[in-house]
Amino acid sequence: MDNRNFLLAVVLSGLLILGWDLGMRFFYPEASISAPMDAAEPVSQTSAADAPGTPKGASDLGADAGKMQVIKLNDALASPDRVVIDTPRIAGSINLVGARIDDVVLKDYRQTVKKDSGPVRLFAPEGTPDQYFAEFGFVTGGVRQPSTARWQADGAKLTPETPVTLTRTDADGVSYAIRLSVDKDYMITAEQSATNGSPAAAIIQPFALIKRTDRNATPDQFVAHAGPVGVFGGTLWDPHSYEELAELGGEKPEGAASWLGFTDQYWLSALVPGKGETDSAGFRSLGDSLFRSDLIYAAQTVPTAGSLSQQTRLYAGAKDSEILDSYEDSGITYFGKAISWGWFEIIEKPILWLLRTLNGLVGNFGVAIILLTVIIRGAMFPIAQKQFASMAAMKAIQPKMKEIQERFKDDKQRQQQEIMKLYKDEKVNPLAGCLPLVLQIPIFFALYKVLVLAIEMRHEPFFAWIRDLSAPDPAHILNLFGMLPYDVPGFLAIGPLAILLGVTMWLTFKLNPTAMDPVQQQMFAIMPWILMFVMAPFAAGLLLYWVTSNILTLAQQSYLYSKHPQLRAAAAKEKAAKG
Amino acid sequence: MKHLLILIARFWQIGPSRLLPPTCRYSPSCSQYAIEAIGKYGAIKGGWMATKRLMRCHPWGGHGHDPVP
Repeated sequence: MDNRNFLLAVVLSGLLILGWDLGMRFFYPEASISAPMDAAEPVSQTSAADAPGTPKGASDLGADAGKMQVIKLNDALASPDRVVIDTPRIAGSINLVGARIDDVVLKDYRQTVKKDSGPVRLFAPEGTPDQYFAEFGFVTGGVRQPSTARWQADGAKLTPETPVTLTRTDADGVSYAIRLSVDKDYMITAEQSATNGSPAAAIIQPFALIKRTDRNATPDQFVAHAGPVGVFGGTLWDPHSYEELAELGGEKPEGAASWLGFTDQYWLSALVPGKGETDSAGFRSLGDSLFRSDLIYAAQTVPTAGSLSQQTRLYAGAKDSEILDSYEDSGITYFGKAISWGWFEIIEKPILWLLRTLNGLVGNFGVAIILLTVIIRGAMFPIAQKQFASMAAMKAIQPKMKEIQERFKDDKQRQQQEIMKLYKDEKVNPLAGCLPLVLQIPIFFALYKVLVLAIEMRHEPFFAWIRDLSAPDPAHILNLFGMLPYDVPGFLAIGPLAILLGVTMWLTFKLNPTAMDPVQQQMFAIMPWILMFVMAPFAAGLLLYWVTSNILTLAQQSYLYSKHPQLRAAAAKEKAAKG
Repeated sequence: MKHLLILIARFWQIGPSRLLPPTCRYSPSCSQYAIEAIGKYGAIKGGWMATKRLMRCHPWGGHGHDPVP
């Protein structure tokens, strides 16, 4: 029996190590994709802007995958047909050709941990390698107004104080206007209006779209969705990655759209429909790694000299939970769920709040994580105290215990039952039960998710070499902390934090007061070192939590031993006897 | 549903439970209790019984022999 258990343990551990690497490759594919993607090839699909003869209006904007020459970002941004965007959080410009917002950088976030790295670029013009942009436009008489049309602007700069209106009149005399305003965060409001100056009635549909490539998208992870996302019919819709959307071709989720767009781990672009009936809202794959999210309003017949107007909001920015939640509070259904909190939101939000508050007090997220650990362990302390008190009480019934063990030494099952009965009669039990353990699992998982999801932790340093708590420990033992010129492969990439984790965990097991059988003892001798490899690729902040937790366990044990000296003596004797 | 829940409990038994220090205050253990309860009373009632058992499995809860009724 013991042998079988031990064998099983060895096999399980082996599977864990091997399976881990495979699992990591599955959930975090970016590491395994090393070959650069082919440059965009010219795909010459003409954008038949919807078949003519559909006077009712279009429920589709056509697949505009044409004109695919690769443009350099700087060339695209050098065009004079641009209106500058400048707000406290974003900078960029509006492209007057096509009325596109195709140049947005986020002032608050750097590309890498390096202090001099540029701001994160969210939007880039069509044709550039990282193309990603939003467009507001009109379908008139079933034909999408060309996105090569040039618009006039009434201002030179879009700021929270100065809105800009783009205007244009088509050949038939219908004039269009898009009034753009922006708030101090990431929300741009577009007021689209059309006035019919032609002699005949016109059928007009305002629309908005976001188009992007998935080449620069973050990988879709088990804990952090990346890809098309939205809230339709009052529920979050985020089942597909880009690859899946490409296979499907397109998807129009059921129910009225509250918002829809694309999300990365930390960034979001989303269209928020205003009042007014929508014709369709959904996603489609355009081929060649291009994807589009379309929001088309219902067709309206506008008589001569009549007009219509339609408001749409565009979110283009970071997934800061406070900002998203404030928009949710102002009426955008489940906007906060753009961060894939999942089932454990109820634990994750308080953890994030606590971390933010602690960080506000001490000014370092690493210290905040340590303090969080102290608080959680503090809440668990009475459990350990109670356990020690029970163990002290156990000493009193030790003789009876011995007697039972002697009497039933051939019948383990019976012995177990008798011991249980003794515990019951004497009203003691040295074991903590599984609830304390089970309670800690969701806390640990929630902290892991918070570290992955919360932009607050992005690029937050702890001390010395740990400059990003949301990333794995960058130092590796096996190349002497980068002194040897090679990259440590796969699961061997363990850093100092992981080793500290192994050592502290080994110590806690060594000091663990509960009795263990020999097989378990062997297991506990191996497990810390297995977990050291398993945990190494996780966020440094998570390891920091675990290491702190282990150290606090050690401190707690020595404190409780000092309060119950007879237990320490007994434990020492037991150890010596087994020695 | 019933089988899925039992599978989860079995998975716990052969996986994490073996790797963690022994903590059972009761016999049978919580996972064994869950398997028996779900088998006997179905996913909803059995699951609820297992949840209640888990909720009293802490230092201030009961202990000892506590089989599925």
